[in-house]
Amino acid sequence: MKEALLYSIMGLGAGGFFALMAMGIVTAYKGSGVINFSHGAIAMYVAFQFFYLRNEGIFHFPWFDILPTKTLNLPVRMSLNNGVGINVWFAMLLSMATALLLGAGIHYLVFKPLRNAAPLGKVIGAIGVMTYLLGLASLQFGAIIPNPEAVLFPRGTFKNFLGLGGQVSHESLAFAGLAIVIGAGVWWFYKSSRAGLATRAAAGNEKGAVLLGYSPDRLALYNWMLAAALAGVVGIFSGTITGSLGVGKFTGLIVPALGAALIGGMSSIPLAVAGGLIIGMLQNFTGTWMTSQSWFPTWGQSGIREAVPLIIIVLVLFTRGKSLPVRGNIEEKRLPLAPYPKRVGIYVAVFVPLGFVFAAGLPGDWGWAGLTGPWGFHFSVTLVAAMFGLSMVLLSGYVGQISLVQITLSGIAAFVTARLVSKGGNRSAEFDPFAVEGPGWPWPLASIVGVAVAVIVGMLLAIPALRIRGVQLAVVTIAASISIYTLYFENSELTALQGGSAYIFPAPTFFGVNMGSTSSSGLTDSPRFALFALVVLAGLCVFVANIRRGSSGRRFLAVRANERAAASAGIDVPKTKILAFGLASAIAGVAGIMTAYQIGQTAATSYEYGIGLSALAFLYLGGITSINGAILGGIIAGGGIVAYFGTWHSPGLFNYTAIMGGLGMILTAIIHPAGQASIFQPLVQHLGGWLMKARGTAWLNSLKRYGPFIVLGAIWGVIGINPWRTDDYSRFWMALTGVFLVFFVRSIVVQIRAARAVKAAQDAELKKFLAEMEAAK
Amino acid sequence: MSALLETYDLTVSYGGLHANSNVNIKVEKGKLTGLIGPNGAGKTTFIDAITGFTNVSSGRAEFCGQDLVGSSPAERSRSGLVRTFQSLELFEDLTVWDNLIVMAETTHWWSFLADIIRPRRKVGVEDQAEWALELLGLTDLKDRLTLDLSHGQRKLVSVARGLAARPELLLLDEPAAGLDTVESQQLGSHLREILNRDITLFLIDHDMGLVLSVCDYIYVLDFGKIIAEGTPEEVRKNPEVIKAYLGETAGEIQAQEGAAARQQGGI
Ligand SMILES: Nc1ncnc2c1ncn2[C@@H]1O[C@H](COP(=O)(O)OP(=O)(O)O)[C@@H](O)[C@H]1O
Ligand SMILES: [Mg+2]
Repeated sequence: MKEALLYSIMGLGAGGFFALMAMGIVTAYKGSGVINFSHGAIAMYVAFQFFYLRNEGIFHFPWFDILPTKTLNLPVRMSLNNGVGINVWFAMLLSMATALLLGAGIHYLVFKPLRNAAPLGKVIGAIGVMTYLLGLASLQFGAIIPNPEAVLFPRGTFKNFLGLGGQVSHESLAFAGLAIVIGAGVWWFYKSSRAGLATRAAAGNEKGAVLLGYSPDRLALYNWMLAAALAGVVGIFSGTITGSLGVGKFTGLIVPALGAALIGGMSSIPLAVAGGLIIGMLQNFTGTWMTSQSWFPTWGQSGIREAVPLIIIVLVLFTRGKSLPVRGNIEEKRLPLAPYPKRVGIYVAVFVPLGFVFAAGLPGDWGWAGLTGPWGFHFSVTLVAAMFGLSMVLLSGYVGQISLVQITLSGIAAFVTARLVSKGGNRSAEFDPFAVEGPGWPWPLASIVGVAVAVIVGMLLAIPALRIRGVQLAVVTIAASISIYTLYFENSELTALQGGSAYIFPAPTFFGVNMGSTSSSGLTDSPRFALFALVVLAGLCVFVANIRRGSSGRRFLAVRANERAAASAGIDVPKTKILAFGLASAIAGVAGIMTAYQIGQTAATSYEYGIGLSALAFLYLGGITSINGAILGGIIAGGGIVAYFGTWHSPGLFNYTAIMGGLGMILTAIIHPAGQASIFQPLVQHLGGWLMKARGTAWLNSLKRYGPFIVLGAIWGVIGINPWRTDDYSRFWMALTGVFLVFFVRSIVVQIRAARAVKAAQDAELKKFLAEMEAAK
Repeated sequence: MSALLETYDLTVSYGGLHANSNVNIKVEKGKLTGLIGPNGAGKTTFIDAITGFTNVSSGRAEFCGQDLVGSSPAERSRSGLVRTFQSLELFEDLTVWDNLIVMAETTHWWSFLADIIRPRRKVGVEDQAEWALELLGLTDLKDRLTLDLSHGQRKLVSVARGLAARPELLLLDEPAAGLDTVESQQLGSHLREILNRDITLFLIDHDMGLVLSVCDYIYVLDFGKIIAEGTPEEVRKNPEVIKAYLGETAGEIQAQEGAAARQQGGI
């Protein structure tokens, strides 16, 4: 008993951390109704900023050098003291200034433009900020994982704390105390200050704030700055409490913080603080004390810590999901239209053979030797990423359910399949110290069972979705994603993997023909696998298209559009959602297994939540409500063919993938939520219809219109910025990718112009209306 | 003549407010029953309670002799008790046609499997939908998205969507609000046609003209209570009604209706 209490108290430091994080999340939510998934990333950025100021006197700017030249550069870092650390107080001041700058920037550049966006748009905005900051941090700080020291707090420990017979560090108690003190301050702010009162009024009804003389935008700015400042406090003071400082660290700790924020009902600061402290204590109690007891099952030892906040989140949302404040925004936009897929058969008939040509490598190395070499690899990555995208298109695009757990379902399918195909020494001739015992099933059967398990888990996870909606679902699913990761993927008791090793995935064979990804070179770039993936992707596209075109699709869109009306139309909304989760899980499962085939093995890291978020980012960029969006998302995904184009031209470019993805996501959410695919689709359709019936002048006209872009793209592709890279291999592929990229950029420009034109037209109309009103008077 | 829908002392309270108190309403099969009352009288609440969109505090309702307690809105809809919404609540990004088909088709647990194999099969309810479109003159708009339509057209689509289900009883929540006089009269004549197709109607409106001119039997609701019922003539002469509703001068009523119409139009 004494021991249990002691372990709980030892969790107070982490509890203080969660409490502070939770306060920041609540503050951002009060200010603009956004559940800020990027909160941990902000804290992380400030933590690094502080660390380097304190130890090396270097100040980093939260941006990167976008100028594509070597001679003209944007400053990204500044040495203040010749490489020697600066005064701690001064470092704190600068770090807090960074936090405030980030808060203001996030408000002005992201959430102010997204104020009336659909909930998914806001979630994407937050994930975009997170992706950007994580990418930026890996670029600026990623090389080293430092161990920060405690700041200002007394070092040392109480040897025998309260006579409980164990050590408790001063720092963790002081940190918990800091959380309580700051909590009291923030609580006072909302209770007594004018801006705080106005925020509370605005959360219920934006007009309320206007009556108090505050514009909702101004209030949102204050709250974002306060939230960022709270993140800054976390970043500066967390010291040794969270251990060594990795880029993804604080983001991975967002789940307990979300749990605490939810305990506070997304509005009460004291409850959020209490919730944070309690979760910290509970986690240490279960994760350290309970797991050390003899009665505790060994399979649950890893991950039980992460399960605590998940259980709390599910409980809170279940018991009070409906009573959580939903902000009454003046106008909330819907998701973009989900276009009706037309001519699916023709698309398949055209693009699958075309893809075959791509994969089999007609122009690859100018022969039928097959497209070995990086292209085959990146083409496969694109195809598999598109498959994963389809699962989100069905669930988020068609039914409007924001699920961040799809990547985990992919992982579950892959892990189950891997276990079933294992049979001891899989790696035939080679020596395999980590061979996993298993029944050694044939791969098709094992894959089917793997997908089935993913479907079952997905449908179970759908149950919370029946009670809650919008961003709340995003919270539960990200919590589930992180928990399952540690509970299952990293749990050697369940996976039988030792020492972080991976399952070996045998190559799939069709009647003796090897379709695996490993080519004769030993690399995973076989064109045969690309063929296999192409057929699977085409099948999944037809699957999703048919769902969309049939009665299920109608019901899905009806539920997405209006759940009340759907119920009045006799649609069983809960069953429809569960069906959607089931189908999306099946697709995610297939994608997960294909990922494993593509890599040749299955490891936990392929299915981490961050991978899922970045896939979501590129999908959203492509267009989350359409099949074409998923394909385009695959094309531009990290490691896909466009990324390959980038690295081919400038080898360091892949470092910028996350940053670009994050920025692209934010930009898309703001200017064109339907994604880029809606621009490409007419283009492709045009082209198809065209090749059939275009006459001379039509040819000439479009040549005039698109010709320059094509030439430009092709030249850029072939020559690029590294003119010496003009071997046969790249001459064809790089030109093609270049043309694609130029059209991509063009589509973004077209959209910005169109958005401007719409706005101008609206303004003109408003003016006209006002003028008429005047005249009527 | 049996009652299709009957409520017994139906009471709905929101906090302390009795939005409906002890409401007893009986809807006869094949008749056009109306419910009128000023704004905020509790008319929409009544429909919500019958169709399962709000909780009943006490009392009960029977549909086709079956107690409605415990069944979900979707189940009630499938059993033939269909409603429209005052605020339309169309499926904005489906076409007019799909709005109707979604309402009309019955699906099974295996429907999605059928979709995967053959998505565009006939679902067997096309003529119902055609009929509803034709009746309300919407055939030309069939393939348009509802969000592209004018407010009046959207109103008609919401009625057509209700009809497409071929319900036993269709509850219409202020279908005429926001329509101009001509459109409103046209709607009135359509209602009679619908009745001839074996669909019983329950019409809610605050536009006295429409209800008094088309309904067979009328209930008058005020502050959540039924204050009068009877044939149009009886209701017109009822002193309670005149006091509570018609008692205002004609000008005031018109102003009220105008305001309501503007409000509706603005949604
Ligand atoms: N969900 C609700 N919660 C609280 N009060 C409500 C709710 N819905 C309606 N009311 C109140 O019930 C009363 C009746 O409303 P309603 O049925 O919409 O009237 P009507 O349709 O006759 O105009 C009004 O005073 C309204 O404010
Ligand atoms: Mg009403």
